[in-house]
Amino acid sequence: MLSKNARLWLGLIAITSLLSLASSCSKGGGDDANDNTGPTEGAGKTYTAKNNEGTISGVVSYNGTAPENKKIDTSADSACTSKSPDLKTDEWVVADGKIANAYVYIKDGTLADGSKIGDYGKWPNMPASATLDQNGCHYHPHVLGVVVNEPISITNSDPTQHNVHFTPKNNPDWNQGQANGAPALVHKLARAEVLVPVKCNQHPWMKAYIAVSKHPFFAITEKDGSYSLKGVPPGKYTVVAWHEGGANGTEQKMDVTVAASGAAKADFTFGGTAMAQPGSWPMLEAITFPTLHNH
Amino acid sequence: MSKGVHRFAVFVACATFFLIIAGANVTSHDAGLATSDWPLSNGQVFPKMVGNLFWEHGHRMVATAVGMLTIGLAFYLQFREPRTWVKRLGWAALGAVVAQGLLGGLTVKLNLPLIVSATHATLAQLFFLITVSLAVFTSKRWIESEPLEQMVEGPPVRALCVFSLAMILTQLVLGATLRHSATWDKDLPTPLLVAHICGAVVVTLVLSTTIAAVVLRFRPETYLTRPAAMAAFLLVVQLGLGLAAYTTRRTSPNDPQPLTPMVAVTVAHVACGALVFAATIVLTLRVFRMVRAKQAEYRLAHA
Repeated sequence: MLSKNARLWLGLIAITSLLSLASSCSKGGGDDANDNTGPTEGAGKTYTAKNNEGTISGVVSYNGTAPENKKIDTSADSACTSKSPDLKTDEWVVADGKIANAYVYIKDGTLADGSKIGDYGKWPNMPASATLDQNGCHYHPHVLGVVVNEPISITNSDPTQHNVHFTPKNNPDWNQGQANGAPALVHKLARAEVLVPVKCNQHPWMKAYIAVSKHPFFAITEKDGSYSLKGVPPGKYTVVAWHEGGANGTEQKMDVTVAASGAAKADFTFGGTAMAQPGSWPMLEAITFPTLHNH
Repeated sequence: MSKGVHRFAVFVACATFFLIIAGANVTSHDAGLATSDWPLSNGQVFPKMVGNLFWEHGHRMVATAVGMLTIGLAFYLQFREPRTWVKRLGWAALGAVVAQGLLGGLTVKLNLPLIVSATHATLAQLFFLITVSLAVFTSKRWIESEPLEQMVEGPPVRALCVFSLAMILTQLVLGATLRHSATWDKDLPTPLLVAHICGAVVVTLVLSTTIAAVVLRFRPETYLTRPAAMAAFLLVVQLGLGLAAYTTRRTSPNDPQPLTPMVAVTVAHVACGALVFAATIVLTLRVFRMVRAKQAEYRLAHA
């Protein structure tokens, strides 16, 4: 059995250790990409444009009547209520059967010279930066696409405090408060990931998604459901359309061949009974099939 | 022993229960990371408590108050309590509440890792165990009670009480882990959910047996039968709340935000779980005080 003094010292050491741990942890959580540790996916071969690149374009549609977006109760923060008195979720932005905010990207593929698209880390016309704004206690845009290590500038246009919380699986979790009028936060995601949910724990209805890609061949569909991937090297690719459509999101795949200087078309269709219904627990796989028109 | 010490100990136990409710609200509202700061909230001692910061900072304020009360209780016991082991328990309560505060800070700074959050929720129940125990130990009835004289061989009621307590604590740990495994907008992990439901069955069987043994064998002893009856009533309520919590939580991933029915029911489920634990603690302590060890049992004089 330990003596009284030994127990006292053990207790003091335990408390000091916990204090030290909490203190050391509180020094973390910076506001830039230095938080991202470990190897990144930005490295790889450099692709040099050959002036025979093509395009993949198409339209993402919804089959049937899209679920209605839900009313959000913003009464917990009067600043949100006054700025967005009739706020609704923006999970479904569907007009005339066309879906906006779907993320379309090349998931995998082989270039005409036999190399894999994933072998390349640097492409011509890589986007330089992206912006995510908090306005009306709502994220703009709702879905954002970036390349690895692209600076994401996060701004607060609201007269209230927000906290920006990235909850990725492949990248480090990141949570940072941002007061009204505070300078933009800049954050980078070092690993490819489709998609990183972003939320505000202070206003739990606020949700956005950031897709992180190794290459610039991605797009967010417009209000008319259209998208276009430009500068795609000739080759065979798997193109994926992702839509949040439920708690875990859902996606559709299609194999597309891009000829030299060609224009491939890939349309996707979501909806019908394929989407998770309100109240259902497990996520159901989409069962409708995309149409493919190669040119 | 002054009445004041006992009343203060009861007050601290009640404040701890309120703190558990405040903590449960933080989890159900997904408010744990409403501020990335700790111990300050957004760099302030008293921030504007809007949105989920109301729950997170409110929890911190209640926790601070309970911490202060525990310091007061430890010193109160140190100067007014003659029993050394009770004094030590007072200091143990202070150590537990300090560790609990640090765990709370740690889980915020680490962005709510499951192991730290679940440990934080479990330590809350253990701290509640200590404060409830102190309330029992400082009561006049506890101090003046004598072990029951008429004893016969019988089922080990003491062991049954301890087993019940262990099962309830295990179930509380499972529940805490389940709650912290998925926020309101995510599906609960099925294996943990099944484990928690199985835990409810085991607790119901074990606690019911314990309550039946106590009530049947010590019927005139209200000092024992009252906490047993209270535990039985709370157990029934808790099972109903568990079913309601499952129903509301199941659909919450499709909601635009944590809605009041889900939050109210799940918080009530957590609170009632703590009360079942508290009633069983009181019952166990009183059984240990009144019923002799080994297999000695009390039999009614008129039986």
